[in-house]
Amino acid sequence: MKDKNNENKADPCLPGGLVPAEQWTLPQTSVRRSLKDAIGHALKQLQAEVSQAEEPFESMDELPELSSAQRKRLAPEPDYSDQATAIACGLERARTEGSLSREVAFLVAPPFSGVQQALARFPEPGQSGSIESGGEEWAIISPPDALSFDDHEANEWWDRQDLSRPWVIPELADFWLRRLSGLALVKELFRRIANGDTGVGIVGCSSWCWRYWGHYLENAQMSPWTPGPMDAERLGAWFTYLASGSGKSTVIARMTGDGYYVLPLAETDENEKDKDSKKRKYSNFLRDLAATSRGNPGVALAIWQRSLRARPDDDTKLEDADEKTEKQSQTADCWVVPLERLSLPTMPQSKESVTGFVLHGLLLHNGLDMASLEVVTGVSTYELSLVLSRLKRAELVVWEQSDERWRVTPIGYPTVRRHLQSWGFPVDQF
Amino acid sequence: MIDDLGIKDAFASITGQALLQAVLVIVIASLIMVAVQKVLPRVAEKLGGKPRLYLLASVPLLRLLIILATIVIVVPILVKPSFENMVAIFGALALALGFAFKDYANSLIAGIVTLYEMPYRPGDWIEVDGQYGEVRSIGTRAAEIVTPDDTVVIIPHNKLWNSLIANGNDGTDNLMCVADFHLEANHDVSRVRELLRDVAFTSPRTKTWRPVLVIVFNKPWGMHYRLKAYPFDPKDQFQFISELTARGSAELARQGVKFVSVPVAVD
Repeated sequence: MKDKNNENKADPCLPGGLVPAEQWTLPQTSVRRSLKDAIGHALKQLQAEVSQAEEPFESMDELPELSSAQRKRLAPEPDYSDQATAIACGLERARTEGSLSREVAFLVAPPFSGVQQALARFPEPGQSGSIESGGEEWAIISPPDALSFDDHEANEWWDRQDLSRPWVIPELADFWLRRLSGLALVKELFRRIANGDTGVGIVGCSSWCWRYWGHYLENAQMSPWTPGPMDAERLGAWFTYLASGSGKSTVIARMTGDGYYVLPLAETDENEKDKDSKKRKYSNFLRDLAATSRGNPGVALAIWQRSLRARPDDDTKLEDADEKTEKQSQTADCWVVPLERLSLPTMPQSKESVTGFVLHGLLLHNGLDMASLEVVTGVSTYELSLVLSRLKRAELVVWEQSDERWRVTPIGYPTVRRHLQSWGFPVDQF
Repeated sequence: MIDDLGIKDAFASITGQALLQAVLVIVIASLIMVAVQKVLPRVAEKLGGKPRLYLLASVPLLRLLIILATIVIVVPILVKPSFENMVAIFGALALALGFAFKDYANSLIAGIVTLYEMPYRPGDWIEVDGQYGEVRSIGTRAAEIVTPDDTVVIIPHNKLWNSLIANGNDGTDNLMCVADFHLEANHDVSRVRELLRDVAFTSPRTKTWRPVLVIVFNKPWGMHYRLKAYPFDPKDQFQFISELTARGSAELARQGVKFVSVPVAVD
């Protein structure tokens, strides 16, 4: 989607800008690709028991995967502080233009879009942040350790939070549990926001959590905003931005099969008026990647990282290039494996209801520890361990040591979403 | 009589080879039908959700198509398809069915109407004459349902003419379940309604995008609450109702709301 509001104002770290959630559309892809995906998905569902060896990723390409240094150089994780700045600017611009008039802005985004990480980097009082939002400092509201509250306790808890000055909730999904005593905090927050009892604030919310609360509070109209979807052009610009670091070097990425160019983008080449570039043929890889990842930057980056290949001797070249970036522009080559040849995670065959409850619970709550997962799904710890270990082997979930939670992996997210949808679970709009 | 109807003439041209060919076609058609009836339900079980229902519903339709195709192929092999011959054969067939297999023919015709009107399809949860269960298959003469106690009940299609057929999900995967709560009076009704709604919303089996309703009736003995919600999978309906009842009861007890108990007379 080319959203008119943000087309000319795109920040390289948030190429799609911010758009009202109802304007979000799925990146387009070819009919051939759509049919291929649909048939592939149906066949995978019909598959008999998959062998353990088939579950993990298996490269179909002869070229080796990137080393960690190469990955850091060619497809690094984004700097969320820059994204925080871009979000703050985007919201400020929307307020100035009058398209956002509410005091509390809701930012709804699918998992791995980076909004939660960016909102968590808004500068708190006393920090030397660089958020350009009128020089405001933001109070980051963190969730309580335990989420069991009755209505009275929830009221008291919110009374203790300072919502009179600008505040940010990086992820609303961390404030509730799908159990009877786990809903009070979010209900009370929505009540206060609806009553106008809070000051200026930003609420980040996972699209799955938003969907649930949209059903629960059917009369709540919060007009959420969301990052614009990443189409092929935006993905290309974003990958180039990530790899270029200071912006002085150019990444050249070509398909392993036919040598067609993925990066730089065709338009960038045209701007450079390079005679050779006119003869270049460009691949549809980014368009297919945008469709496969449903315009989700985190998912697209995970697949991009996996699809990149380098020749063994490229390691030294890249290191040399790093050393010279300060002095002159450099070119770094890498190769891209076609999506058809990438073995992305597949869903192991098992009791779909239990697997569905676990995966849906993890997405609803932005990851959960084992005890909470047991409460939310009603599945015993013993059975949960078996299911989670299976899903972990299939690369669909991962145990994160940092906050001791099970989470869906970005590379497994498209498979998980698609299966949940075909099993009849409610899925997000993105 | 047979001469009058012209049947003798119609079958006069049947040779041994033609008979063999006809038998071969019927055998092949039967094999295809068996394959369709065995394979498609298995594939449907693996798919789940709406594709499962669509695939199950296509089984009787495919069978009908195969039967029609077989008749179209076999009849010209056996008899010369002239107007007189056709009238003779179908006339004789109508007589035989009318006298000897009236009820059977009734069910066969109802079976064809079933395919057109679709009062029930494989995968539907129906109740006919007090028997409730999931439609497992729709045969030419009768439908098979499997009750929650895993008993197969054969329901002739001619029930269609004179019985009330209740269909819980009507070809979709949306089946409303109801959990009943019989409570003593003198409690905060709106609080209990809110609490029961939360019970449904916090169940991992609930389709949250479908309506969740709590209905209350004032009865002479107390209050009767009906919690209505949709489970993800109609097959889970009893587990779903059990879960809603168990969690709802536990929370109501925690809130100090008491259940009504009926005194039992002991002889």
